[in-house]
Amino acid sequence: MSVVDTLMDPLERLLQTHASRMAGVVIALVIGFLWIPIGVLVFMSFADGGVLSFPPDKLTLRWYRVFLNNGTARAAIVTTLTISVPATAVSVALSTMAAYAIDRFVFPGRRGLQLLATLPIIVPLVVTGVAMVLFFRGTLGLGGYPSTVLAHVVRTVPFATLVILPTFLTFDRQLEEASKDLGADELRTFTGVTLPNVLPGIIAGGLLAFTLSFNEFVYTYFVKGSGDPTLPVYIWNEIRYNVTPEVNVISVVFLLLAVSMVLVAVSLTKVELLARR
Amino acid sequence: MAEGDAETAGGLTGLVTYFRERPRLRTLAVAGPPYAMLVLFFAIPLVVMLLVSFQTDRIGGAWTLANYTEFLTSETYLTVVWQTFIISVIVTAVVTAVGYALAYSIVRFSRRTTLLLLLVILPFWTSYIIRMYAWINILQSGGVLDSTLQLLGLPAVSLLYSQPAVLIGFTYVWLPLAVLPFYASLTNMDGDLIEASKDLGAGPIRTFLSVTLPTTINGVITGVILVFIPTFGSFITPRLLGGTNNIMIGMVIENQFKQAFNWPFGAAIGMVISVVVVCLLILGTRLGGGLISGGDGT
Repeated sequence: MSVVDTLMDPLERLLQTHASRMAGVVIALVIGFLWIPIGVLVFMSFADGGVLSFPPDKLTLRWYRVFLNNGTARAAIVTTLTISVPATAVSVALSTMAAYAIDRFVFPGRRGLQLLATLPIIVPLVVTGVAMVLFFRGTLGLGGYPSTVLAHVVRTVPFATLVILPTFLTFDRQLEEASKDLGADELRTFTGVTLPNVLPGIIAGGLLAFTLSFNEFVYTYFVKGSGDPTLPVYIWNEIRYNVTPEVNVISVVFLLLAVSMVLVAVSLTKVELLARR
Repeated sequence: MAEGDAETAGGLTGLVTYFRERPRLRTLAVAGPPYAMLVLFFAIPLVVMLLVSFQTDRIGGAWTLANYTEFLTSETYLTVVWQTFIISVIVTAVVTAVGYALAYSIVRFSRRTTLLLLLVILPFWTSYIIRMYAWINILQSGGVLDSTLQLLGLPAVSLLYSQPAVLIGFTYVWLPLAVLPFYASLTNMDGDLIEASKDLGAGPIRTFLSVTLPTTINGVITGVILVFIPTFGSFITPRLLGGTNNIMIGMVIENQFKQAFNWPFGAAIGMVISVVVVCLLILGTRLGGGLISGGDGT
């Protein structure tokens, strides 16, 4: 005991006096680790020299022009949107229903619903992706487009539910009682009291579902088959076969989309809600 | 016009009354659609995968155990599984240590919690492939790291297509995801416990080991599961950042579906991964990890 103590005590004192400074260092290092690669991408999108040479000779907007004139990349964005927009709409509707049911009703299978709405986050994407090709394409004989939309719904529902559920759980239900006491029926209470209170959470869930769907790669890669690629699949092909600096520009597009969507989502709810599990 | 409105309202009110008198039907109407979607398009595909894994090299073929015997008797595949396991363990350990240190620093020592949390989760919402591509930029020979070191007169390094590159890539993508449960469990913890421990004479290390860590262990287990499982099934990171020696099990599946077109064999490997996942989940929930959204809370 004494040996351990003599070793531990100076260490304990060291930590005691410098704890706050050490925490600052940890925060700075990790935030730097998370953001420097993103900074590099943005910087390199302005680099003039051919493929991936660092440091660049001079800065230019050339690759942005190349990107804007690239018909394949533009088509890929449109393809992604034709999948993400309907998938997000369906996902938000289903997630809101799931959140409402989990919050309000006690029913057999309630835990089952919670489990089912969480598992797609945990099961490795390859496994679910493979299972979906086998069922959607193999068993049901669905085409690439409906299969991909369904896959995106499965991918986004758990995250949207995760964001929407807390807004239902924290909603003060006495407001509904008050509304009913004042003579409103369930419908008027829902549209006049409940909905305005949970709407920000639902919109936030929708924005994050859209971001996730726009970025979705693994399910799409397996399920969609050949044909027009989505933007993430297009980038995957570019990176694997012929890297051009244009990929840096597309990266910036992805970044701007994600940052703006998440910032709006966070302004609608609390950032802590996104951290809730 | 007014009449039409009244009629719609009447119809809706009628519907409300109808459902008020039938609470079970009402529950079914609300919970049913998301339930049905998840069963039909998530659970059933997994069952189909299980069935297909027992078929010969084409769907609808005869029943067989060949896919499993082929996989489990091949030294190459077993080496890949072992390699995947080792990489997943290292990544999980690093991400847990760094992520916990970060969450702890934010919760206990920073006042700008919201901003910092935002800075941590934002990268998570950008494209996975883009984040890997950023590391190709940095790690390749002649890349950002290499050039910077050479400018400083240090020896050149090219880490791309190596195991360290794979480990860095995984750490980068999973850190934000792991910080969230750590953060949640640390904020839910009663800070007075730490004060009490210090008042009783324990230093920061003893306080951490005997008070903080045990009270937040559920969050730690959740984080471990959230990192280990997706790493174990990943193919993007080793494909983009790893070399020919860094084959992971997810890449073998990808190969079966994208090149070899042996779906039943791919399904069998999918089942092998699923078994690992299920075992870990059971172990994790036994140990107290909270994974179900909106559940009893971690």
